[in-house]
Amino acid sequence: MRPWWRGRTVQVAALLAVMWLAYRAFGLEHPWPERLEWNALAGHLNDFQVWLLDRRAADDAGLVFQVFDGFRVLVDDLVTWLTDLLLWATWAGTAAAGTLVVLRFGGYRAALVIAAAFACFAAMGLWEQSVQTLALMLTAVALSLLVGMPLGVLAGRSPRVDRTLTPVLDAMQIVPAFAYLMPVVILFSVGPAAAVVSTMIYAIPPAVRITALGIRGVQPNTVEAAQALGATRVQVLRKVQLPLARRLLLLAVNQTILFALSMVVIAGLIGGRGLGDVVTNGLYSNPALAILGGFAIVIMAIALDRSTEAIANRTDPARRHLTDTLRRRLRLATLATAGGVVAAVAIARAAGAADVYPEEHTAQEWLLARIQSVLDFVQDPTSWVFSLTEPVGTFLLVHLLQPLRAFLVETPWFVTVACLTLIALVLSGRRAGLTVLAMLAGIGVLGEWEAAMDTASQVVVATVLAVAIGLVLGTFAAESRTVSRLLRPVNDVLQTLPQLVYIIPFIYLMPVSIVPGVVAGVLYAFPVVVRLVERGVRDVAPESVEAASAYGATRRQLLAKVKIPLAGDAIMLGVNQGIIMVLAVVVIGGLVGSGGLGYEVAEGLQRNEFGQGVIASLAILGLGIALDRVTRGRRAPRRQGAG
Amino acid sequence: MSEAATVAGPASSSAHTIDRSGEPLIRASGVWKIFGPRADRIVGTPDADLPRAELRAKTGCVAAVRDVSIEVWPGEVFVVMGLSGSGKSTLVRTLIRLIEPTAGQITIAGRDVTAAGRGELRDLRRHDVSMVFQHFGLLAHRRVIDNVAFGLEVQGMPKAERLARAREMLRLVGLEDVENAFPDQLSGGMQQRVGVARAFVVNPKVMLYDEPFSALDPLIRRDMQDEICRLQVETGKTMVFITHDLPEALRLGDRIAIMRDGAIVQLGTPEDLVGSPADDYVANFVRDIPRSHVLTLRWIMRPAAPGEEDGPHLPVGTTVRDAVPAIAASERPVCAVEDGRVVGVVDRTAVLRAIAGEED
Ligand SMILES: Nc1ncnc2c1ncn2[C@@H]1O[C@H](COP(=O)(O)OP(=O)(O)OP(=O)(O)O)[C@@H](O)[C@H]1O
Ligand SMILES: [Mg+2]
Repeated sequence: MRPWWRGRTVQVAALLAVMWLAYRAFGLEHPWPERLEWNALAGHLNDFQVWLLDRRAADDAGLVFQVFDGFRVLVDDLVTWLTDLLLWATWAGTAAAGTLVVLRFGGYRAALVIAAAFACFAAMGLWEQSVQTLALMLTAVALSLLVGMPLGVLAGRSPRVDRTLTPVLDAMQIVPAFAYLMPVVILFSVGPAAAVVSTMIYAIPPAVRITALGIRGVQPNTVEAAQALGATRVQVLRKVQLPLARRLLLLAVNQTILFALSMVVIAGLIGGRGLGDVVTNGLYSNPALAILGGFAIVIMAIALDRSTEAIANRTDPARRHLTDTLRRRLRLATLATAGGVVAAVAIARAAGAADVYPEEHTAQEWLLARIQSVLDFVQDPTSWVFSLTEPVGTFLLVHLLQPLRAFLVETPWFVTVACLTLIALVLSGRRAGLTVLAMLAGIGVLGEWEAAMDTASQVVVATVLAVAIGLVLGTFAAESRTVSRLLRPVNDVLQTLPQLVYIIPFIYLMPVSIVPGVVAGVLYAFPVVVRLVERGVRDVAPESVEAASAYGATRRQLLAKVKIPLAGDAIMLGVNQGIIMVLAVVVIGGLVGSGGLGYEVAEGLQRNEFGQGVIASLAILGLGIALDRVTRGRRAPRRQGAG
Repeated sequence: MSEAATVAGPASSSAHTIDRSGEPLIRASGVWKIFGPRADRIVGTPDADLPRAELRAKTGCVAAVRDVSIEVWPGEVFVVMGLSGSGKSTLVRTLIRLIEPTAGQITIAGRDVTAAGRGELRDLRRHDVSMVFQHFGLLAHRRVIDNVAFGLEVQGMPKAERLARAREMLRLVGLEDVENAFPDQLSGGMQQRVGVARAFVVNPKVMLYDEPFSALDPLIRRDMQDEICRLQVETGKTMVFITHDLPEALRLGDRIAIMRDGAIVQLGTPEDLVGSPADDYVANFVRDIPRSHVLTLRWIMRPAAPGEEDGPHLPVGTTVRDAVPAIAASERPVCAVEDGRVVGVVDRTAVLRAIAGEED
């Protein structure tokens, strides 16, 4: 059986060649025609916003508005209340309480990590912002789980629900967060609620997916045995499925937290207070502080990741062999922990500890000075760093980004539409082709053709680089355990960083407007490609490898002729996931002036031009779906759940 | 019944008699199970008569159970046999609607299972029928004793009471020492004992076994069969026992149904199957079974001619193998006796024929 993409490579190359010829022959003569644009749309959208605002302000606002507003007030209150509680407990009380809870459920290693994180927040002088972010995240995570876990349970129990939910979740994950900021702001206005809602959109899918995975992973025969004994559905769920899926349920919590944290910065754009705010504001006024805020977010991510992972691993009931005595002892420990938390807070308050870690004892000044000196060094045109990064940035710009942008923007629009549609058709089948056609046409009608092609060129360059890096490192990692071990922590850190945090350093490292976004995209996406390639190459059936070795293939031949081709599907999946992640970062680059669709959204946000922002958001959505469908390939149809 | 307590050799369980005069405990008539899209539209159409492969090619559906009717009387051990994929598991699951039958009617202990609502079905599963599974299906996060007590817990029995009952049950299957262990700490054989105990503890009228021992190695399997026979004798439970192991079927079964491609091709006592297989499929199944171990005098006797009734007497249920010494030692034909009456005689030729497998 030959992999599906063989032979298609030739077809795709031919289509690209057609585009190239058309570009050379007609360059710029056929931009997207104005009569095919729906120019009135922005006006309509603005009118709609005004109408929306009027309605909400009206005394007799309808039920829908009341519901939205009620939700907004509720979430705002929740975040405020939680923030106040954490502040009320004083810095010492909060730190002690957090450490104790993690100690009880996650073990002492995790507790050490948490304690260290609190120490860092204090030392950085970002205590209040950290607490605000923590409250925001806890609220968003709790609400995401409240929505996601029941849905996941349903999807895990019923294949039909699963089939219905999957495309919705796919869509939620394909859309770059940046694209739904505008609509969310309109519905919830700027503030914690908007921040929580946009975080939820991003964090619910993993909650649903992993929960469903856990429920589905419970052996069917245990469920059947319970049913045969006459257990009701609720009993089966409570006594069999949930306990047996517990580890994965906790993993779902872990992933939801990480996804939520990667939205902190973006949340800062629309009124989430805390570290996100530090980063987004500092971006323009105080870059060193922004970077410090970025570090704080990363520390929070690592601490929460490690502790929830430890909790998940320690509470796998199937492996824990929980006897009655043990259970009693654990219950005592829980009580003791609760007592400890109360005592710690009481003592801290009695001793007169402040709400916020006192400023005079922080190392903020010192840290900022260090960061600033690094920034100065990097930006100094005479330094060696600059002599390294500047040429790289220029090379990217001159030899990759600009030519590709010209190619995509200037090729006659109908040739581009036709060829991209056909490429999707060849690679991913008829439905994908039709979807791509519809999306491209939609982008054109929205009047965003040029901006979208601009963004697409950045995405393509970044994806190609990410995949190239990913392929090389992934193959090395699959072949050598040492490389794999060395790469893992790097990958972990790169993936937990919020998307915007990547961009900041490169603004200074590569001061050419669109390069930072692209480089950040590469950094954000390549770990996933590494992971998929590594797994793909390593999972190649040992028999094939053995057979080839038996014929005397060298290690190089083995890789080139057996493993990499057989790992083709994993690699294609890497391209698909990578391209979506790159898109998410590249549009954020709009904030720092990288042009394209992201820039228009950023402008819409900053100048409060709703119509323009929403149109660009829609175009991002269209571009995301198109890119996803082109690279999706013909994946094996989903496993059909039985009964 | 006491005779059966000495179960050791094949077919000896058929030694106990079953009263078939009353109502059967389980009655299934015309049961179908078809998996696939729009399966309910197939029963009753000519498509239903198509062989399995053709039906699948034509409609994409698999007929796992086709028009099966069985009756099982109280105290009987009813064995269902067949090759892998012949629909045994599906059939036994439709009996308590773990799999919804596509068509047909099922009654258990006077309850109409097919028409039962959710509550009544639950009641049936809680009190009347228990099932033992091939892959045990134990709850990994609970201790052995909590696993055994699970059925009682589901019924809402208070903790102390259900643990006491479970403990008693564990003693019965010889696992009282490991009640606080977790399933993954036990061997396969012990795990299945837990499975059996869990099914028994609710004191059901009917036990369903779906290949309970096929995951165990042969020696353990034999032990477990003995255990099942002992429990069966001690409690007089009605059992439906699925297996694809013929010696096991012959050893345990009062009657055996042989399934092929979802349908029953022959239903009878072990003797019926070995003595007169209905078709090549069944014949192939029983080919390797020594006939003399299964056939009894009843199967090979002929009416006694006048004056032959004074030969050595043997019970009519004696297997040929067990009768051989007596017949060999006697000049005269051996008399088969039932209820103190001579019902037929067996001579050497008949025995030799039976062993050679050529009498027709
Ligand atoms: N959920 C299902 N969906 C579709 N087909 C099924 C399903 N369950 C069983 N089948 C099919 O029904 C047929 C009968 O399966 P069943 O499990 O009853 O066989 P079996 O006799 O128990 O086999 P084994 O000895 O391997 O356990 C098989 O062809 C199987 O593929
Ligand atoms: Mg089976």
